[in-house]
Amino acid sequence: MKNKTLPIFKAIVTDFLFWFYVVGCGRYLVYQWFEVHLNFNYHIAVSLFLTLLFFIIGDSIGKKFFVGSKKLNGKWYFHFWGLFIVLGLIVTFVVGWNVVEVKPVKFFTKFINAKNIVSGILDPNFDIFIPMLSALAETIFLALLATFFAIPFAFVLSFFAARNLMPKTILGNTVYIVIRTIATFFRSVEAVVWAIIFSVWVGIGPFAGMLALMIHSVAALTKLYSEQIENIDSGQIEAIKATGANQLQVWIYAVIPQIISPYLAFTIYRWDINVRMATIVGFVGGGGIGLALLQQQQLLRWHNVGLIIWLIAATVWIMDMFSAKIRNKLLKTQ
Amino acid sequence: MKEILSIKGLHKIYNGGTHALKGINLSVNEGEFLILLGLSGSGKSTLLRCINRLIEPSSGEISFAGKNVIRAKGTELRHIRRRIGMIFQQFNLIKNLSVLTNVLTGRLGYISFSQSLFLGANQEDKEKALKNLKRVGLLEFQKKKVMNLSGGQQQRVAIARALMQEPNLILADEPVASLDPATADSVMKYLGDLNKNDNITVICSLHFLSLARKYGTRVIALKDGKIVFDGKPAEIDEKKFKEIYGEEAEEVEIR
Ligand SMILES: Nc1ncnc2c1ncn2[C@@H]1O[C@H](COP(=O)(O)OP(=O)(O)OP(=O)(O)O)[C@@H](O)[C@H]1O
Ligand SMILES: [Mg+2]
Repeated sequence: MKNKTLPIFKAIVTDFLFWFYVVGCGRYLVYQWFEVHLNFNYHIAVSLFLTLLFFIIGDSIGKKFFVGSKKLNGKWYFHFWGLFIVLGLIVTFVVGWNVVEVKPVKFFTKFINAKNIVSGILDPNFDIFIPMLSALAETIFLALLATFFAIPFAFVLSFFAARNLMPKTILGNTVYIVIRTIATFFRSVEAVVWAIIFSVWVGIGPFAGMLALMIHSVAALTKLYSEQIENIDSGQIEAIKATGANQLQVWIYAVIPQIISPYLAFTIYRWDINVRMATIVGFVGGGGIGLALLQQQQLLRWHNVGLIIWLIAATVWIMDMFSAKIRNKLLKTQ
Repeated sequence: MKEILSIKGLHKIYNGGTHALKGINLSVNEGEFLILLGLSGSGKSTLLRCINRLIEPSSGEISFAGKNVIRAKGTELRHIRRRIGMIFQQFNLIKNLSVLTNVLTGRLGYISFSQSLFLGANQEDKEKALKNLKRVGLLEFQKKKVMNLSGGQQQRVAIARALMQEPNLILADEPVASLDPATADSVMKYLGDLNKNDNITVICSLHFLSLARKYGTRVIALKDGKIVFDGKPAEIDEKKFKEIYGEEAEEVEIR
């Protein structure tokens, strides 16, 4: 009994959500184009009506995917459900175009507006090279410190976030899940958001930026490190255990040699990412070259902006190249 | 003849419920070269790992050189383990350390934690390591990283590591299964040599009957976690072979 009503329920809910969305999109477009407000009650009523109508006819998206029947198999374009999916896609595209205010004509005809910045890039102002270099150094150091301070936290946490090291008890599982969840959460909040939080907390400046990057790095490195531990070869652990080694000796000779190069590789990679993020974080009060870029742009000093853009590009390029080289070398010795 | 290993009523039931060993009784004398045969999944690796407790047995008794292996804890267990060398199919060397350091890890059971931070600082151990490397013909490889060695060379390093333990018993879990026939035989030669000249007892699981006949002094065969044959290598005729490996099996001769 139960396993028959549940799919039907799911199907009806799906259909209703679908029609609610499609009708909503229609309402939005009617308002955009004709400035006519449609009552929300109509919205609900029309959605419900369409849902029930096609449910009774027996051909709808929900029926197809949750209830299913022989009648609904075959080519999609012979069925309402297939056409509805296409309808949904078209409506989404049209609404998206409207919301983003896509203006192809402007893109091709108003290039002239970008003249200032392009001329700035083509003719950067080298007079500010030295002060900007120091702002850049601030950004690189900020990224370095953020990475450096993140290492010990991530190192310790990674052992508790590795499935194969945590005991298979309720406590072990809880610790594992809690650390993994928190790390995922901290990682999913953008560094820029952390920077805004910390610039309120400790004041605008590089320190706020460093804290933002650090918290992000701890979360990211914890995940990368612990996955590395989960991948270690247990055969080597067995072999060292079999010599009569104690637990600490097993760590030193079987675990650490296996994780040390990947850990270094990930850390350098993280520093590389942090330099990039540090520029962005600078924009919202994290100091360094990002802040300088924002200031010069607001003062409309396009030739200064040009120089800063070149500096950032060069740094990112050099870091990228070196970190890739070092990483390859480290991981090859695996 | 002196008994070195005695196993009585050994059972192993894995967490998933697999009953891998079903009452193994086995007595091994000093100086034997015991070959362990059996189909894949018959429990060879499980039995070998129960002997030095890399796997916890579910029930039964094991005694090694008169010591109770099952009841040993902490230091006592480690002192038992350091007298039992182990060789693995996948060599299980520490891949990004040097050959010499790998051999020296064989001493870990004998030295304190602080000493183990400076492996090789102890002159006596280092000399022992070089002597054992020479014995397996790899003296000039001592500084190389293990991962740059061939499979046969790696297995010889593993033998040198086991020798550092000054073992009375060596457990070898399919030591030549990932090597070509010629290399396999040369590795087996080293094991045979240790057995004869150093009086080290060897228990070695194999898949090739030819090697079993050449090196073994005694063969036991496992099937579904039970011992189904125990005797001299020469006693394995067509009929016994089919009992161990099933009716469809054909003997392939690899020499
Ligand atoms: N860690 C484990 N957890 C659960 N079951 C296991 C585990 N290790 C082995 N087993 C099971 O125990 C049985 C014996 O396995 P074992 O590895 O001892 O066989 P084997 O004779 O060494 O086989 P092979 O020749 O393939 O190495 C098999 O059924 C296997 O699936
Ligand atoms: Mg095995």
